[in-house]
Amino acid sequence: MEHADLAAAASSVSLLSLFMQAGLIVKLVMIGLIGASVWTWAIVIDKYMSFTKAKRQFDQFEQVFWSGQSLEELYRTLAERQNSGLAAIFVAAMREWKKSFERGARSPIGLQMRIDRAMDVTISRESETYEARLGSLATIGSAGPFIGLFGTVVGIMTSFQAIAGSKSTNLAVVAPGIAEALLATAIGLVAAIPAVMAYNKFMADAGKLGARMEGFADEFSAILSRQIDEKLQPRQAAQ
Amino acid sequence: MKGSLGTSLVLHFLVLTWALFSLSAPAKFEVGDVEALPVDIVPVESITQIQQGDKKAPMAEKSAPKPTQKPKVVENAENAGDNDVDLKTPPTPVKKPLQTEAAAAPQKTEKPLPNPTTEDNKVKEVAPEETAPKPQEVAALPQPRPEPTPPTPKPEPQPEPKPAEQQAEEIPMPDAVPVPAARPTPDVPKPQEAKPVEKPEPKKTETPKPAEKTPDRKIADKKQETAKSTSSKESDFNADEIAALLNKQEAAGGGAKRSAAPAALGGKHDTGGSKLSQSEIDALRGQIQNNWSVISGIEGAQGVIITVTMKLDETGAIIGRPEVKATGGSDNARRTLESSALRAVLRSSPFKNLPADKYDAWSEVVVNFDPSELL
Repeated sequence: MEHADLAAAASSVSLLSLFMQAGLIVKLVMIGLIGASVWTWAIVIDKYMSFTKAKRQFDQFEQVFWSGQSLEELYRTLAERQNSGLAAIFVAAMREWKKSFERGARSPIGLQMRIDRAMDVTISRESETYEARLGSLATIGSAGPFIGLFGTVVGIMTSFQAIAGSKSTNLAVVAPGIAEALLATAIGLVAAIPAVMAYNKFMADAGKLGARMEGFADEFSAILSRQIDEKLQPRQAAQ
Repeated sequence: MKGSLGTSLVLHFLVLTWALFSLSAPAKFEVGDVEALPVDIVPVESITQIQQGDKKAPMAEKSAPKPTQKPKVVENAENAGDNDVDLKTPPTPVKKPLQTEAAAAPQKTEKPLPNPTTEDNKVKEVAPEETAPKPQEVAALPQPRPEPTPPTPKPEPQPEPKPAEQQAEEIPMPDAVPVPAARPTPDVPKPQEAKPVEKPEPKKTETPKPAEKTPDRKIADKKQETAKSTSSKESDFNADEIAALLNKQEAAGGGAKRSAAPAALGGKHDTGGSKLSQSEIDALRGQIQNNWSVISGIEGAQGVIITVTMKLDETGAIIGRPEVKATGGSDNARRTLESSALRAVLRSSPFKNLPADKYDAWSEVVVNFDPSELL
């Protein structure tokens, strides 16, 4: 009998039983926090994979771009694909360039401006995809502990009410309720800490990618403006 | 995104299941089996207020010193004992056991002696009755006696009456008679002189000597006298003398306070065993204050403290004139307040509600007043 009682008392401190003992609000908080943790890690895995992929693509594209290959050829191969990152910027700029020359551009300044716009729009669209869902990481990181704390406060409140009802202040009576309540804070911290760390890391990575795109856009804009000058001067001279 | 969400879900599921099984129940704290210690809560009074009693006796409800046998002689004696004078020395001198060992031998020789003798039976009857109380008086002392003595004296006196006499003579000799003589404090010179004389005498004539001795020793009781007479008839002189000496020793130490109750644990003296509690003192002060017609507007009354010392009898009435002293303040205020305090004290006599069992504590009371509180 005594052994059985002891075993029951021991099992009542296990995680599952702590969860099952908890009240409805605490349970909801815990489930919500576990969901947040799942979402956090889903974002982390997704971002990690997409960022490494983006970096690899950047490197590959830069290699090809500076390899001395004709830009027209490069455009022709890339235009058929779905592009992202530097390739997307390059394709957007080239498309604008092509369109302008096909219809016969009048002013080199207007053409230059249009190309820069096209590249800026592409950069902002690309950075948006990189920073997508990082906001939810930030939210989980900052609000997770508070949600957990809320669950703890509610749990401790109910457990104190239960203590008042049982009229016993024995630690064995008090402890399970408090342990169960503290589990909510623990889950909140488990969800929040990786979220904060991942948010900081991915924001820095996204910033780096954005800077790289800006740098490429400026460089490419300089190359194109040189081309514009070269192509438009003979026309002007002819006129 | 779907793929990573699925991965995340799978990872969480794995981690949670691992946690459920491996972190299910934390190791219990090892709590040693400690037996509960019974704790008595002892009031401080039991330590600070020691009642007079016997240090070696078992504890009883009321502590009392070893019982005494003599009638009460001295009133208000403080030290327990059978003495006529209330001495502060403890009732049992330390060196006694040596003498009592020797003294025990003749007492036992007395008993065999009457058996062979053809003298009156009356004498025999008297002897055992009176010799019996002697060991009782000495109470703790006689214990050492029987152990050393019985082997030597007992076998010898029974077969022949004569050797018993010889032994009795021999035994007092080693007793070192002068040693007991030194102890009885009240009559130091007389016993010293008497003893050397007595020893040679008893061998020849027994009856006259005890008669002479008893008047010499003022301390000897009636019991002692009767014992002497019996022993003298039995022709055992030395036993008388030793009994007398022993009785002297009993009287020599100790006080005159008698005790009838069986010995119980306690100290040598009362140490504030009965002390008026603060509320009792306040009650006493209140009775005086109620009768105090305060004269307001006395200049310099601030800081005057009045101390009233009075003796009370057991009904609470004042004995004699209470002593009233005032300190601080101006001369005029002191005089005025002193007289008003005296009036108040006299008017409130007899005091009521004083605990009768603590009469020692309030037989003489000192009460302090701060008249500025009454104004």
